[in-house]
Amino acid sequence: MKKASFLRTASVLLFSVALLFGCSSGGGNGSGTPAASNGGTTTGAPQKDQMVIAVNENFITMDPQNTGDALSSGVQSAMFEGLLIYDKDLKLMPGLSTEYSVNEDATEYTFKLRQNVKFHDGTPFNAEAVKINFDRMSNKDNNLRAYRNYKYIKSTEIVDEHTVKVTLNQPFSAMINKFTTGIISPAALEKYGKDITKNPVGTGPYKFVEWVQGDHLTVELNPDHWNKGAAKVGKIVYKPVPENGSRVAMLKTGEADVIYPLPEQQVETLNGEEGVKVERTPSTITRYVSINMLKKPFDDPRVRQAINHAVDKNAFIKVVKSGYGAQLESVMSPTIAHYAKQGAYEYNIEKAKQLLKEAGYENGFTTDIWGNTNSDTMKGMQFIQQQLQKVGITVEVKSMEEATLSDEIYGIKSPEEAKMNMWYVSWSSADPDNAMRSLFSSENFPPAGANTAFYKNDLVDQSIKEATQSSDQDKQKQLYGVVQENVFKDAPWIFLAVDEILYGKRANVNGVYITPSGGIYVREAAFQ
Amino acid sequence: MFRYIVKRLIEIIPIIFVVSLLIFFFIHLVPGDPVRLAAGKEATLEEIERVRQELGLDKPLLTQYVNYMQNLLTGNLGHSLKTGLPISDMFENRFSVTMTLTLMSLGWALVLGLLIGTISAVFRNKWPDYVGMLTAISGISLPGFWLGLILIQVFSVTLGWFPTGGVESWKSYVLPSLTLGAGIMSMLARFTRSSLLETLKEDFIRTGRAKGLKESVVVRKHALKNSMIPVVTIAGLQFGFLLGGSVVVETVFSIPGMGRLLIDSIAFRDYPVVQAVILLFSLEFILVNLLVDILYKALNPKIRYDS
Repeated sequence: MKKASFLRTASVLLFSVALLFGCSSGGGNGSGTPAASNGGTTTGAPQKDQMVIAVNENFITMDPQNTGDALSSGVQSAMFEGLLIYDKDLKLMPGLSTEYSVNEDATEYTFKLRQNVKFHDGTPFNAEAVKINFDRMSNKDNNLRAYRNYKYIKSTEIVDEHTVKVTLNQPFSAMINKFTTGIISPAALEKYGKDITKNPVGTGPYKFVEWVQGDHLTVELNPDHWNKGAAKVGKIVYKPVPENGSRVAMLKTGEADVIYPLPEQQVETLNGEEGVKVERTPSTITRYVSINMLKKPFDDPRVRQAINHAVDKNAFIKVVKSGYGAQLESVMSPTIAHYAKQGAYEYNIEKAKQLLKEAGYENGFTTDIWGNTNSDTMKGMQFIQQQLQKVGITVEVKSMEEATLSDEIYGIKSPEEAKMNMWYVSWSSADPDNAMRSLFSSENFPPAGANTAFYKNDLVDQSIKEATQSSDQDKQKQLYGVVQENVFKDAPWIFLAVDEILYGKRANVNGVYITPSGGIYVREAAFQ
Repeated sequence: MFRYIVKRLIEIIPIIFVVSLLIFFFIHLVPGDPVRLAAGKEATLEEIERVRQELGLDKPLLTQYVNYMQNLLTGNLGHSLKTGLPISDMFENRFSVTMTLTLMSLGWALVLGLLIGTISAVFRNKWPDYVGMLTAISGISLPGFWLGLILIQVFSVTLGWFPTGGVESWKSYVLPSLTLGAGIMSMLARFTRSSLLETLKEDFIRTGRAKGLKESVVVRKHALKNSMIPVVTIAGLQFGFLLGGSVVVETVFSIPGMGRLLIDSIAFRDYPVVQAVILLFSLEFILVNLLVDILYKALNPKIRYDS
């Protein structure tokens, strides 16, 4: 009896031991093999043929027409192409179309399609495929994110096998940028239905191999690509690695060939590291503090200007961004079309105090600033707190978990209900419409949109509206210039910085870039 | 014994029911709107409402709960709000990964913990005891994410013995399971030591020694088994800690397991996924504790469950 029960105990213990040593038998004698695993297929080949790209988050979806996060888009860009594509500097270049023309009032786009292109599943790419895709996106009932941009499309007509005509129901200046949305194989749409999110089939330089949820996504070179030879690496593996330190370690050991993002404070640890390069690119990301202009004392422009004079932007970049980044000298990043530099609110405490005095706040006031729980955000908010203290403004720092914060800011019934005073935040945009209409048009007050400063200026509203509906680049430039000038003067934000994109790569990696908007450009991927 | 196990298994049903109820209402009470998060900053109100309807989140909470339970009873965990994928698909690889990790961690912890604890007790107040207890104190006090990063720095970056993360082979599990097991290993070592010291004072041990048994035999055959009861209790209770710890360790070592899925889903307010993961964790915890009670019986026949 007793013996039996003891045996049972012993067997449980033994089982754990067996599990341990069963797992660890077979090697493990520290023979110094490099930790990097090459998918087990490289049989001592001299040419490395698999590239590992480690990123910071999980991918959400592989349906390019229903994607909202930069990372999923970044991965998709290997497999999908739009009629136009962004190059590594966010310039538009021909993709699945070779040329296009626009009518006078920017309501008709005619595209000449690239010929002899096939989707990865062998389906021919033609005007019909474009129509199926555009109809999918412009149909409200499909509930796709791309509907936001494609709702302007009234009809897509097949002119002939290789020509399509797209008619809009109203002019939309940013429409041309939206034609970069990836085009999916109609046969695959048919075949997979809802599961298209897991089975991407496009025309891009790389074909989908597998996506192991949460672990990795693999693509392989498409031998039939229309631009054959540009990309040379046989396989690319994308891996989500959320912990910054672990990503950096992977780059050092060679387990990863490219890592993005590379946190500013980790750059030091890679400098001088053998075989590793740190790359810097100006980004589309603006960093600012949104000020609620509906609330006292922020309804007075002098107060907002005073705050801008009280914050030392250079010190901000040095302290909070470890020296990476540039002063924000307009309402958007210089990488975006129609950027108009406005200069900067010079750092001048006396001037700030003077302005506060004029506004009737000689002794300052008390307020609070909101932000997420990210350590960089905390650092940024504390910096603002300490700067404003010097002019007598007491700021309480309140950090909230991201979803709670989003609820506090956007989950309000009406603008008057907003509790927010100041919000430390960033915004990334690809085109001027998205950089300005979303943030400064008065129709976008929360809860309806992202104008969290509750900025309202009739001239700005009018200019944005006109620019949106114009196809004339010069006119757009002039109108968006007016917007930038006025917003900058009215100071609905504390204008802080434009982020720099930092990424690390092994020295033998060529032709892989992180674009200013955080996309992963692999169209020319190669090893030296 | 058999009747006891059946009884306990039946008891699980109402517990799971209560747990599911609690999770459901707690997660819905937390501020944050999955629809907003899913639709993005630039979504129009109309778009948001459309998505809300599509996901069935516009219905009253009670209706939602009834639907959720109906699905659960038919074994359908539902779909993720974030990815739209069936949750069972998302669990497919992740469950076995986390299970392997926790079992390996528990394995390390049991073997090393018992070993260190026994050595410490036998050599009480001599240097092996000090070394053992120092190890144990360190294991408890070092934060998991820090220990993990140090292990990566030493064994992956500097020595290149193990990969920095992922789940490519058994090698990938070594560092994370050490990191995860460290805390429990320490607890087990300390409990084994104190419990063994208590037992070594008992009369039957003196009898054994008086009979002229070797000290090693006394410790191994008589003392150890009798000191195991508190140790087993701790191991069972700590299993919950393992599941919690897996969240941190999976993040540091970028392991695609349940812990990381839970963190991602909470951040996104992906209600169905959070509910499913916590439900599964609860179930595991309940089963492990049932196992502990059964082990008790095996260790100490005096404990009677059937009466």
